Amino acid sequence: MSGGSAGWIRRVPVRARRWLLGAALALLAASSVLAAQREHGIARDEVPYMSYGVGYARWWIDLVSLRGGTATERRITATFGGAQPTDNNREHPPLMKTLFGLSRILFCDRLGWASEVTASRAPTALFHAAAVVMVFAFAARLWGSAAGLFAGLLFLFLPRAFFHAGLATFDAPMVTLWLATLLAYYRSLASRWWALGLAVCFGLALATKHNALMLPAVILPHYAWVAWRRSRPSGADARRPAGARLAGAARALLRIQPLLVPALAIGGPLVLVAVWPWLWFDTVHHVRDWISFHAHHVNYNFEYLGENYNHPPFPWHVVLVTTLVTTPVATLAAAALGAVHAARRARAGRAAEPERAPVLLLALSAAVAMGVFLLPTTPIFGAEKHWAPAMPTLCILAGAGIVSAADRFCRYLVARGWIPEAGGFARTATALALGSLVATAALSETVAAQPYALSYYNALAGGAPGGADLGMNRQFWGYAARGVLPFLDRHVAPAPGQPPVPVYTHDASPAWGLYARAGLLRPGLPDAGHEAQGIARSGAALVIHERHFARHDILIWREYGTVQPAWVLTFQGVPLVSVYVRPAPRSGAAARR
Amino acid sequence: MVAVSRAGARAATDEDWRALSASLRSRHRPGDLIAFAPAWIDPLGRRFLGDLIPLDMAGRMDAARYATIWEVAERGARSPDAAGLDAADQSAFGALVLRRYTQRAVAVATDFTAALAGARTTGRSRGRPTVSLEEVDFAPRRCVLVVPAPDQTVRITYPGALLGASLVGYVGLADVFTRRDVREPARLVVSIDGRPVADVTVGVEDGWVRFSAPTTARAGATVEFAATAVGPRARDRRVCFAAEARR
Repeated sequence: MSGGSAGWIRRVPVRARRWLLGAALALLAASSVLAAQREHGIARDEVPYMSYGVGYARWWIDLVSLRGGTATERRITATFGGAQPTDNNREHPPLMKTLFGLSRILFCDRLGWASEVTASRAPTALFHAAAVVMVFAFAARLWGSAAGLFAGLLFLFLPRAFFHAGLATFDAPMVTLWLATLLAYYRSLASRWWALGLAVCFGLALATKHNALMLPAVILPHYAWVAWRRSRPSGADARRPAGARLAGAARALLRIQPLLVPALAIGGPLVLVAVWPWLWFDTVHHVRDWISFHAHHVNYNFEYLGENYNHPPFPWHVVLVTTLVTTPVATLAAAALGAVHAARRARAGRAAEPERAPVLLLALSAAVAMGVFLLPTTPIFGAEKHWAPAMPTLCILAGAGIVSAADRFCRYLVARGWIPEAGGFARTATALALGSLVATAALSETVAAQPYALSYYNALAGGAPGGADLGMNRQFWGYAARGVLPFLDRHVAPAPGQPPVPVYTHDASPAWGLYARAGLLRPGLPDAGHEAQGIARSGAALVIHERHFARHDILIWREYGTVQPAWVLTFQGVPLVSVYVRPAPRSGAAARR
Repeated sequence: MVAVSRAGARAATDEDWRALSASLRSRHRPGDLIAFAPAWIDPLGRRFLGDLIPLDMAGRMDAARYATIWEVAERGARSPDAAGLDAADQSAFGALVLRRYTQRAVAVATDFTAALAGARTTGRSRGRPTVSLEEVDFAPRRCVLVVPAPDQTVRITYPGALLGASLVGYVGLADVFTRRDVREPARLVVSIDGRPVADVTVGVEDGWVRFSAPTTARAGATVEFAATAVGPRARDRRVCFAAEARR
């Protein structure tokens, strides 16, 4: 049987098989993310990224068109910089914003293939697809194609990461470029030319989000370990004194990849400067402003285990608990098995590619991505997206876990006499069956979480209601407001010829214009403005439920004289958005009654 | 997978809410308190029953004034408003449970929030003390809002107050954003006829802090609430307090 129906698969070279699988995963990832994002609301942060991105893209188009005056300090400042810390969104590097803008200009404005929002989000979807492929490729390289396939699928089926992959924001691309940098570094341990790839990837990561500044904290300790390991004496040299061993390690540091430090210290920053015109002058000053903005970032309000945190320190366990309750349980279990499997193999001296210590690299990646949020001085951020670069590690281990569990299960079946031998076909079939179970579980959670995945909690938490019971963050970015637009359309929008009904749009205010342009909002429902003045002007009002937003309910109650919303949008029974409609003024007769 | 997919299925439906609402309305009397548990179902509860919840009730100091408490609960939760009480009856409506509690309501001799208009105010503050519905500890509170200048004390004096067996009150800091940005505490000292009976320091994480003092029932007492923004950096310290003299 193994030589029959499955035989043709084996005749395809491994390399070609992996290319095919990688391409299929990329296609699946990009198409599913692009399809799903059409139901997503517009996240608050997307709005400036999209709009400034168009400005950045036009600047680049002008530059390559050799339009006069483009590369002047004045034009660059007007496009990318400014005197204030958030002018032209200069607090964030421009790579993804520029791509959002280019994509919108090409696919929406010129070709008309996609809406403004979808076109802007397409680069993120493509970056995410690339990350899925990299997760697949790395896991396949270490533990075989089946491990790779399920690692890639489980990475794609992370409900929250899937959601972020459909937004014009930086978090999903940051994961991609973080991983790309580590894989380029990994390759550079065997090929000097890959130092160039490392510099490019690191530079692009820096040009995406400041998390990339942490990458050297992954790479340098790993490199030191690799050098130390390769300098380990063997045979007659085994009793070398410690000094000689250190000297050997130092030589290994210089020998293995002599361009490592230049790639990180010079090459990466040069790429950053190249893609960020704001750094083309006053470079030191502008870099300092960028880093300083994030070092002194405003503390978000973030609910965690029933407490609203808006001042450091955040409890050290936020990262761990949040990851535990926002990752599908089946994926967590597979990753735990994978970690045990990798540890056992390492202890037995059978680790994959021990000369380059890939599992250590993955572990360091997760530790650094998460570790900074364990520090008591880190500003309050809260959401799992901030340490999302740790997720590839988890999913790669999950792929290994599935294969190792399948292997053990096969041996168990052989021992019981239920199958004759644990041959290649049996092992592959078992891995596929087990992996399909795990991946289906993750897929079903990912589907169930859409389009409100920031409110998703896994079975350990008890779903979204369990998350609410635990007092975990409900959502952020105001994107769920999209779910109440049909209600506003049906019950609040004025009839033709009637005066407009201003809406207090709360946290959805930045996105309101985009909703209108996208045709999701009927005319006659303008944004009423901010806070109490906006509420005073409004005929209807939204409250997007996060714990610290309770004050908005109260502001509305004061103005409308009632605590009763007209409608409440829910996810798995958990309130996400309340819609209030201003009560009609009572007539004189009614008032007298 | 099953657990998560069933999470939504176990949630109360609009039909559950409508059935509960119809039942409650048939027995509800003005002045009955309606409370929701867990607290996160509050928006849904207000959607279906909000017309029975006046603003003052939503911003109540506590539940002691209410002889009847209707608790609308889901997922086995209990409201703190009904803590220590035994349900007189209960009925289920799908995923929702309606419980009725009765208690001996406290009789209020003086509501110091309602009586603010007759009080005297001295000390440096931003604006005059007002009665307001404020967010304290992420819940609505109807209270006297006073914003002393940094390191200053504002005294709010109620002459000729009617006292009962006790004076009970609560104090907290209003507004989540000023609590985040200004970390200094506030202090509230309550005196009766010049004698301090309660002294509460309330910080940004302390929430709605209860204080109480035994009193002798009588008329004509002078009750003073002295609110201090503690320290020179205590700007925009929005002290929100409510108190009752209870018979």
